[in-house]
Amino acid sequence: MVYLTTFYWGWLLASLLLGLAMGWISVVQRGQGVSKTLAQWLAVLAAALVAAAFARIVPGRFGYWLDLGLIMFALYLCGCAVGTWLRERVVSRSAPAG
Amino acid sequence: MHGLFRWSSKWWPGVIPLAIFWAIAAWTSTEPLEADLAQRSTAALKDTVLDKRRISVAGRDVTFAADAFSEDGRQSAVASVEAVPGVRLVEDETRLVPEAKPFVWSAERDVVRVRLGGSSPLPASKGKLVEAARASLGGVEVVDQMNLSRGAPPRFDNAALLLLDQIGKLKDGKITLSDTKVSLSGMARELGGREAIAAALKNLPEGYSVAANDIKAPPYIFQAYKDPVAVTLTLTGYVPDNNVHAALVQAAERKFFSEKVVDNLKASVGAPSGFANAVVPALGALSRLSTGTLVVSDREVKLSGDALYEAAANQIRAGLGKDFPPGWQYKPEISVKPAAAPVDATVCQQLFAELLGRGRIRFESGKADIVADSAGLLDRLIETALRCPTANIEIAGHTDTDGEEASNRTLSEKRAQAVTDYLIRAGLPADRFTPVGYGSTQPVAGNDTEEGKAQNRRIDFVVR
Repeated sequence: MVYLTTFYWGWLLASLLLGLAMGWISVVQRGQGVSKTLAQWLAVLAAALVAAAFARIVPGRFGYWLDLGLIMFALYLCGCAVGTWLRERVVSRSAPAG
Repeated sequence: MHGLFRWSSKWWPGVIPLAIFWAIAAWTSTEPLEADLAQRSTAALKDTVLDKRRISVAGRDVTFAADAFSEDGRQSAVASVEAVPGVRLVEDETRLVPEAKPFVWSAERDVVRVRLGGSSPLPASKGKLVEAARASLGGVEVVDQMNLSRGAPPRFDNAALLLLDQIGKLKDGKITLSDTKVSLSGMARELGGREAIAAALKNLPEGYSVAANDIKAPPYIFQAYKDPVAVTLTLTGYVPDNNVHAALVQAAERKFFSEKVVDNLKASVGAPSGFANAVVPALGALSRLSTGTLVVSDREVKLSGDALYEAAANQIRAGLGKDFPPGWQYKPEISVKPAAAPVDATVCQQLFAELLGRGRIRFESGKADIVADSAGLLDRLIETALRCPTANIEIAGHTDTDGEEASNRTLSEKRAQAVTDYLIRAGLPADRFTPVGYGSTQPVAGNDTEEGKAQNRRIDFVVR
């Protein structure tokens, strides 16, 4: 894993920043969120993919691409979480004043 | 925390650019990643001895195929590829090098090339053998057709290197090592090569042995050519050593009383046994010919030329074989020189004087036995006597002054008689010859020096 992060750290950083931006925006976004049922299904899908990656059952290049996608997605989620948390703090601090 | 869940339902739009990033990352990074892993895996196997190594990478999965030389080596090679950082799975397609039983290695030489074939235990020893072959056979093409196999006997490299050294001593032939048994066949490059190879094979590593040594040596040749025009005897070819060399030249000088001996002999090992014992009598037979060639090739003696008269030809044809050591073959091709024109008695006397001036009939010391070395001279005297069939000849024996006069006279008489008997045996009529012993009464030189005495001990032919 260390080897992979050194190999394409640029793409991982990009995913993280994208996540931060998305998280930052999501607090004030007015659009429709994902429904609860769909979110559950997506979570199951993600878990299945993670399981497949750890079990190393996807061979060759597809296996590599799956690993790559999951790592990028994980960093994206971390970015979102941090972004949302930061934005929420900013919003909740300015709300009493507003 | 609850807020996080609430907001997380709105994170999905970012997944679209993320997917694009992912696609681009996958597109650009896959091939460099594969190349990097292949290079690292190869580097990890740098110190491992393997044959036919093949590494291919798909994503992070390495397919590793190779022939290993031991089970331990195979496992450690796979383990070192697995340990390369970034490698996810190793598809193990390694196997052991096939085992050869028996383990056969061979080196075959013809005029222009040496072919190395059979099995070799490791790439390193294979390379070492090819290198050694190039080094010891400068200029000869080395063709490497060796396989790699397991199952080589211990100390294989040393044995094979020693055998490669021997291939340089062959003109053509093959050396085969089958497990620990060595077989050799072919023709040695030069005389003594067979012996040198046999001696070198004694240094084979422990446990190795020679199963068959069929190396042939080139024929051991000795030649002597008697040239009546140049009045020379030319000796060429080989002699076993310097002692035999000196002995042969001395024998030639005694037997060829008027010819100059041209000595082009070289010393070399590899002579057949009994060489000197066969060549000395053969030279004696050659000395009786007017012109002739003696060729000794291994144990075959070929004598060709012209004898001076019929009886001599018969003696030479029949007589030589029984003087030879066992195992020697004698092939005479003797013809008889056409008889020279008859001459009158005075010319005959001149010819006798001339012959006896160049050489003397020799006897055993103090006895009346003619030494074999004098056969050539006697043949010429007989030939001359045949040219003047009407002349009566006195065979005159003389001695020096050493000893009592009475015994000297008896000795000179006996010696004159011995020569007369020899002439009669050669077919001349007995009534033409009168043996006379003069003792020391007619010296031709002073008896005060050894040289003078030697000149006085003589047989003269006097035409009456």
